[in-house]
Amino acid sequence: MLEFDGLRKSFGSIRVLDGVGFTVAPGSMFGFCGSNGAGKTTTMRIAMGLVRADAGEVRWQGRPLDQVTRSRIGYMPEERGLYPKMKVGEQVTYFARLHGMDAAPAAKAAEEWVGRLGLGDRRGDPVEKLSLGNQQRVQLAAALVSRPEVLILDEPFSGLDPVGVDSLAEALLEQVRTGVPVVFSSHQLDLVERLCDSVGILARGRMVATGTVEELRRREAGRVLRVVVPDAPPGWAAALPGVRVVSESAGDTLLDLGAGADDQAVLGAAVRTGRVTHFAWRQPSLVELFREAVAQPQEVAA
Amino acid sequence: MTELRTLSSAAKVRLVATRELSTRIRDKSFIISSIVILVAIVGAMAFQVVVSSGGEETRVAVVGGDASVTAALEAQGEALDVDVTVVELVDEDAARAAVDAEDVEGALLAGADPELLVRESAGGSLEAVVQGAVGQLAVAQQLADAGLTGLDVPEVAVTPLETGAAADGQRIVTAIIGVVLLYSLLILFGQFIAQGVVEEKASRVVELLLATMRPWQLLAGKILGLGVLALGQMVLIGVVGVAGVLAFDVVEVPGELIGTVLTVIAWFLLGYAFYAAVFAVAASLVSRQEDLATVLMPTSMVLIVAFFVGIQAASDPAGGLARVTSYLPGLSPLVMPVRQAAGQVALWEVGLAVVLMLAAIALIVRLGGRVYAGALLRTGGKIKVREALRAERV
Repeated sequence: MLEFDGLRKSFGSIRVLDGVGFTVAPGSMFGFCGSNGAGKTTTMRIAMGLVRADAGEVRWQGRPLDQVTRSRIGYMPEERGLYPKMKVGEQVTYFARLHGMDAAPAAKAAEEWVGRLGLGDRRGDPVEKLSLGNQQRVQLAAALVSRPEVLILDEPFSGLDPVGVDSLAEALLEQVRTGVPVVFSSHQLDLVERLCDSVGILARGRMVATGTVEELRRREAGRVLRVVVPDAPPGWAAALPGVRVVSESAGDTLLDLGAGADDQAVLGAAVRTGRVTHFAWRQPSLVELFREAVAQPQEVAA
Repeated sequence: MTELRTLSSAAKVRLVATRELSTRIRDKSFIISSIVILVAIVGAMAFQVVVSSGGEETRVAVVGGDASVTAALEAQGEALDVDVTVVELVDEDAARAAVDAEDVEGALLAGADPELLVRESAGGSLEAVVQGAVGQLAVAQQLADAGLTGLDVPEVAVTPLETGAAADGQRIVTAIIGVVLLYSLLILFGQFIAQGVVEEKASRVVELLLATMRPWQLLAGKILGLGVLALGQMVLIGVVGVAGVLAFDVVEVPGELIGTVLTVIAWFLLGYAFYAAVFAVAASLVSRQEDLATVLMPTSMVLIVAFFVGIQAASDPAGGLARVTSYLPGLSPLVMPVRQAAGQVALWEVGLAVVLMLAAIALIVRLGGRVYAGALLRTGGKIKVREALRAERV
């Protein structure tokens, strides 16, 4: 398990993290969401030892991360960083060696990764000669080359075209399949929804929501039914017990069902008005969940 | 995953150093500057050879006379610091031909009435050499005829009031060349270090590096890697210089020359450690190459002052300025070698300067290391030293 536990951090008088905690299981992907400036980067930097937490710790396999265990983490910082004048192959080899690989295996792994990411013929070019998308791939190669046990990636998808997004997603899923826990932050929530086993939403220095997207839906959205009854008179559902009408327009009705409400009773009432063209639990998208979570002033149990 | 080893600090420092070394050694500006320096050294020596081409030389033909004439000519030549080559010829005709052909500068027709044949006039020391030799022979002959042999002519003991002035001069020249070199290389490698630090900050690669190592390991690796290169260059220059000096026969006392060269190299190491650390720390305060000149200015100024004081010390090695500055850390690497070359320094003085310098290096590495660590991950404008010191260490 990769555990982020009770991280607190203030820069001067500004409190950035106020008890951030979440857990990522081996072989699962964790999407880390939050508004700009919510503290995602700080959280990841704490994990990488680049920023010291005021309180709390990050553990891997039950032990707090230190310089030694961190060398087994693949990291991609938000601000991409490579030596501009260093050749692609040498650069990836160098990072492999910094993570503790011997010279020959490092060179071999670098060659392999550079080839796998489609940069085989650019191996001898300095990084600055590559397009931004290709530089991003080198960055990924630098993170993956040492076969890390854990991946922590800050906005890995930003700046990639759809093809690049797909190939990066595929590379990450492959890592997950070998049992690596992957944490990445992203603003592309559709992507997070598609790729991640679990999601954490960070707002105001706290995790306002964590869990699988499914769990979040259930927890966050309550139980919202969408019923489309074209022939129904306005206010047709107002009298149903335990049901609150969220919105209603020309028969397209959103109903918030309270704890004791019976969806079958709602269906019965709907059928009695005439045709029912749509009757389903509404699936809020992650974007809606995110908006709701970030907007809510009160904390939602994580 | 089994392929990963846990790297020791030394291993990380070595990795960084190796990268610095191998990157810089392929760098065009480094290669060009090295070639320029070597060409300048060789050129300076060639100039030296042309300007002060050792002692005079002269070729003299001798007709008649025995071996004592040849011996007297050579002895006289030695006394007058003229390299005399004696050619024995059979008769006057051969001598005239040789003088005409400029094969010899003059021809001595030995005998009771000696005559010196020259082309136009007996230039330079030729006449003095011949006159001295002939006179000596004649005096010796007349004394022998008078029955006086085994004369005990007292040899004049020469006591120079300025001891070893000539050799000192050469050593001081060497030391001045050394100061120029020290200054150039310190500036050059200081720039290299500073550029490297800013490059890492500007490209943000430093965040990735610091995820695998501590700031001091990065700093140490950079300084060591370029230091090895700088030392290599210094030694190369020293070897080329000494070899050239010996080959061209510029210097009389090669042993002392080599001593001075070694002193200069030793001070270079101390100066390099000091200035490389200061330059690196200063560079860590900015994120763009354009801002580099501003933060390097104060240190560059110190180095320039040190350079001029060093040159000044060459003309007045015992003066108060040279004496005081040769202890001052930062200035001492460019002043003390000059004083040492001039031979005006007691051992304890050198020791004191070295100790002060080492203390300064230790301080700068400690304090500078904190600034460096605090400033590395902060990008944007110029960071104040105090802010960097306050920034927390990880």
